[in-house]
Amino acid sequence: MSASTSAWRLLLRSPVAVAGLGALGLLVVLALLGPVLVPYGANAVDVTRALQPPSGAHWFGTDDLGRDVLSRVVLAARASLQVSVVSVSIALVLGVALGLVAGYFRGWADAVAMRVVDVLFAFPVMLLAIAIVAVLGPGLTTAMIAIGIVYVPVFARVTRASVLGVREEPYVRAAVAIGAGPLRIIRTHVLPNVTAPIIVQTSLSLAFAILAEAALSFLGLGIQPPEPSWGRMLFDGKGFTGSWWMSVFPGLAIFVTVLAFNLVGDGLRDVLDPRQRSVLESRRDR
Amino acid sequence: MRRAARWISAGAAVGLLAACSTGEGVDLDGDEGTGGDATGEVLVAAIAGEPDQLDPHRTSSYFSFQVLENVFDTLVEPDENLEMQPALAESWEVSDDQLTWTFDLRDGVTWHDGSDFTADDVVYSYTRIIDEELANAWRFAAVTEVSAPDDDTVVIEVAQPSPNLLSSIGGFKGMAIVQQENVESGDIVTAPVGTGPFSVADYAAGEAIDLTANADWWGGAPEVGGVTFRFVPEPTTAVAELTAGDVHWTDNVPPQQVSDLEGNDDVVVGAAASNDYWYLAANQARPPFDDVRVRQALAYAIDREAIAQVTQYGNATVNQLAIPETSGWYTAYDTYSHDPARASELLEEAGVDGLEIDMMVTSEYPETVTAAQAIASQLAEIGVTVTPRELDFATWLDEQGQGNFDLLMLSWLGNIDPDDFYYAQHHSTGSFNFQGYANPEVDALLDEARTETDEAARKDLYAEAATQIADDASYVYLYNPDVVQAWVPELEGYEARGDGAIRFRDVSLAD
Repeated sequence: MSASTSAWRLLLRSPVAVAGLGALGLLVVLALLGPVLVPYGANAVDVTRALQPPSGAHWFGTDDLGRDVLSRVVLAARASLQVSVVSVSIALVLGVALGLVAGYFRGWADAVAMRVVDVLFAFPVMLLAIAIVAVLGPGLTTAMIAIGIVYVPVFARVTRASVLGVREEPYVRAAVAIGAGPLRIIRTHVLPNVTAPIIVQTSLSLAFAILAEAALSFLGLGIQPPEPSWGRMLFDGKGFTGSWWMSVFPGLAIFVTVLAFNLVGDGLRDVLDPRQRSVLESRRDR
Repeated sequence: MRRAARWISAGAAVGLLAACSTGEGVDLDGDEGTGGDATGEVLVAAIAGEPDQLDPHRTSSYFSFQVLENVFDTLVEPDENLEMQPALAESWEVSDDQLTWTFDLRDGVTWHDGSDFTADDVVYSYTRIIDEELANAWRFAAVTEVSAPDDDTVVIEVAQPSPNLLSSIGGFKGMAIVQQENVESGDIVTAPVGTGPFSVADYAAGEAIDLTANADWWGGAPEVGGVTFRFVPEPTTAVAELTAGDVHWTDNVPPQQVSDLEGNDDVVVGAAASNDYWYLAANQARPPFDDVRVRQALAYAIDREAIAQVTQYGNATVNQLAIPETSGWYTAYDTYSHDPARASELLEEAGVDGLEIDMMVTSEYPETVTAAQAIASQLAEIGVTVTPRELDFATWLDEQGQGNFDLLMLSWLGNIDPDDFYYAQHHSTGSFNFQGYANPEVDALLDEARTETDEAARKDLYAEAATQIADDASYVYLYNPDVVQAWVPELEGYEARGDGAIRFRDVSLAD
């Protein structure tokens, strides 16, 4: 049985992680099939049915423009997932590359990379993201770039820390001794042995990215109206305190999604961390 | 003037402010302590933002004018029906050739610092606006000379008959009479000296401005001891403080809460039909909007009632021209019924298919964002795709100036004379004609109306010009919003005014 299959099995034994996975699965289905599933269009404005409370026709009620909140919550899932996946991918690729180089080569490459990371770390995440959006102009693409950039340092640090340990392992030294090139060593010996913390970090970062996107959209810097987005819906609902459904349902969507990513992330950490894992495996053997 | 121009600094990041707002500290007792030597109770007013500066000639922010309305005077000023009445000028006469206006100034008027107000102050103020080419210099376009033959008299010479001179010099406090010493010392920016019913006592940046009643005011001492203008950007906070009795007055009332507030015994809601108007303008420098049929199609395709409903919740009157029915200059016009079929026909005639429109909106005025979404769905019915582009207001103004837009939505506010409504916006040389409208017929009508001294003839000219402008869909007019304000029942003698001027000179606070 390979390591990854066994980790997967262990993960599925945790009810909490399974719940998170289930929620994420549902989210992905909604994101992919949303346009087919929803009863109304995202921008089906009808002023005559504005601000209706939840009913049989509109399960989540309608907003100030008479749009169906359920449809908009479902359709916004795609944009939220898209932003989080793309931005975390950006952070993952750049951050891991930076961390590998810094951790493996040390010396001036390490010094330069880590000082850059320190500078990025010096800014609060949201402040940095807002600053980047301010420079690039608001929109879906820039939101993804901004969120991607602000999470580069986390991935760089996590990767570098693991690489520092791995590069001293006998098998890496042996590879150096038989004359393998640094790129080959990084690819075949270092990277596979530092993936566990990166996977966990990815899952957690996805949750943060969802929140960051919601925050940017709330501030009018993310997804532009009339395209639906959870953050923007919260912002729009803010002025309508009597119409609680305008805020509560998009808020719940954010809550459930972030929780799901966190649960899966926690589950992954448990099964991928060698120390935790031995505990789990000993339980299984009992 | 233009709402745009007046509100420039009103908080580019409304969303940010909203998000970061931790609730303003309520310190009525502390504020009341700053009333100085005045006797009456201090009125606390919550306005939606902080003035950018207090120099009436230089500011363009509505928040500044809300405060300055109570600090400065003009030669003449509009009454509640927006008719010009004596203020610093007690009376005036016009020469037979209509080219010389002579104003007799009120006697015994003093500045807040105790010095005497004279005709030289008027000459200085107007010369300043003209010579320094300040934002309102265009209102003096016809003026050739301002002089003071003696301390009590001001003479204004104009190049051609100017029936709108009174509303030009008195329409709002941007034409206030300022004190030379105060301007030259630079103090006017934060500590202006005026002749008005209240003087500025204290300005705490980011929090409040305290005014003290001017017991020597020529119109009689105000009954309240002073006014504290607090800056409360978040409407829900302002309304909550009002219902709790922590502030006495606010104009920061979310339209969607007006009907709720009207049912609240602790609050008086005042609404006045205003001369403000909201409009759409298509960029005629860009095809296909140079084709009048395309612009007309937009005018037919939109549903004004629905737009007014989502932005104003019924606190508005739809209008297909700029001037509201409450004004003496109103012209009836209802060519553009909501008629998507007719709109489609027009587009077809113009040979336009699959039109995509870049509509510029601004977070400064959230109603533009809301309206754009309604408009997008209405135009979708005739196969037109509208993509709203939300910008901060400074960028928005830049883009407008450079003509980088297909369609925009904004409003003008506080106009009184019909010339204010049409000349700058629709004359081919008009300074706010960003949509690039040029119709020689309209130019001729507007030029003629500007100097026509017979009021009935003048009204006819404007009716003709306005009708042509709407026929050509230079602007697509939407509605006249109501001015909505709310105050506590203890505040007596206050009326919401159609021009949005906030006057606390005659109010009192019952115990």
